[in-house]
Amino acid sequence: MEDYIVELTVNGERISSPVKPEESLLKFLRRNGFTEVKCGCEKGECGTCTVIINKKTVKSCIMLALQARGKEIWTAKGLEKQELGRKLQESFVNTGAIQCGFCTPGIIVTAKNYLDQNPIPDKGEIKKAISGNLCRCTGYKKIVDAIYAVAVENQKSI
Amino acid sequence: MVPFKYISPKTKNEVLEILKEEKVKACIVAGCTNVLPNIRDKKIVSKVLVDISDIEELRGISKEKDKVCIGPLTTIAELTNSEAISKEGEVLYQAAEQFADPIVRNNATVGGNLVTASPAADMAVPLLTLDAILKIESIERKRGVRLKDFFIGPEKTILREDEMITGIEFESSNINKNGCFIKLGLRKAMAIAVASIAVNLEVRENKIAQVRIAMGSVAPTPIRLTVVEGFLKNKEVNSNGLIEEAINKVREEVDPISDIRASAEYRRYVSGILFKRAFNKLT
Repeated sequence: MEDYIVELTVNGERISSPVKPEESLLKFLRRNGFTEVKCGCEKGECGTCTVIINKKTVKSCIMLALQARGKEIWTAKGLEKQELGRKLQESFVNTGAIQCGFCTPGIIVTAKNYLDQNPIPDKGEIKKAISGNLCRCTGYKKIVDAIYAVAVENQKSI
Repeated sequence: MVPFKYISPKTKNEVLEILKEEKVKACIVAGCTNVLPNIRDKKIVSKVLVDISDIEELRGISKEKDKVCIGPLTTIAELTNSEAISKEGEVLYQAAEQFADPIVRNNATVGGNLVTASPAADMAVPLLTLDAILKIESIERKRGVRLKDFFIGPEKTILREDEMITGIEFESSNINKNGCFIKLGLRKAMAIAVASIAVNLEVRENKIAQVRIAMGSVAPTPIRLTVVEGFLKNKEVNSNGLIEEAINKVREEVDPISDIRASAEYRRYVSGILFKRAFNKLT
């Protein structure tokens, strides 16, 4: 049987690990300790496994680990190292945008990447931006408020 | 069970060689939005996964003198960022903006949506009213196929085991510039269409010079409504009772089934409504 090795960077850290050809990036990341990437539906619908790859958001359950070879990946935990990631995290806590917390890592990743490209969106734009991430507890209002609070702060600093 | 294999060719010709060699064992992968869920459900087993996502010659949108060419690897997100698409084929642009959700649009490709051949395919419906032509290649031959002749059943196309789509083209023309796409889903995002419609229309001197109508999720494949098109052609746009009669003909021409999203009766009924909404937007 052929051996396949995936080498990539996660949150600035180099990872190298053998994989099966059909293994998803989601499974690969969790197996290598990045359990902040949550496994929800495993068919590209719920968005809990969202990561940033080369500045684009991707649902890691619908990408082969082998397709991420040589790429730079950021997960929710890695975003703590960045100012915007930290601000979002604090805002989610302050706004109470968390109940069970399962969707939170995916939504923070989506929101971070979106605010990088569009720092001061309105609430309608935020709703559209996170439309690929499902939350079954909070009904989205507090999540949108949390992201919007960071956008308002962004506007003040411009 | 035979284990999966993985190969990532760097050129189109390499892919075609592999398809010729591996035949039904080959499974082309790119956006993986359908392939990985199917692997998980064991609907795809023991395949040679041919990853084409690095082949730049299959990606991108270009505007030539009288046509627009789309590489099959072009993502839906790239369509929503394209001026050529919004100007020359707005119906496709509108469909791209309603496709799945913003994250999936970064992965999903136009070619993948077509070869998957879902009756609901959101890219197929607008490309049908743009009268798109597919460039299809194997190592031995090239052919051009009109999209309306491409689908032959749910998840079935005329594509042979050694062939792949290498380009999607539509004309730069007046009718293609004037289009409307409407998707009826149970939610605004991540919805599979209950029914969808695309209409492209060219009116000259108050008469319908050309019209194309396509629908998704109302037949075994995405379809053109050629009977309704024939009925409307050369009619005065505002003539009395025209829309009502066309609505009845739409309901006759569709052939829906009942499933978890809606009943056949509802789909037949709502097809007429969707036609009216799209037609009114364009006139």
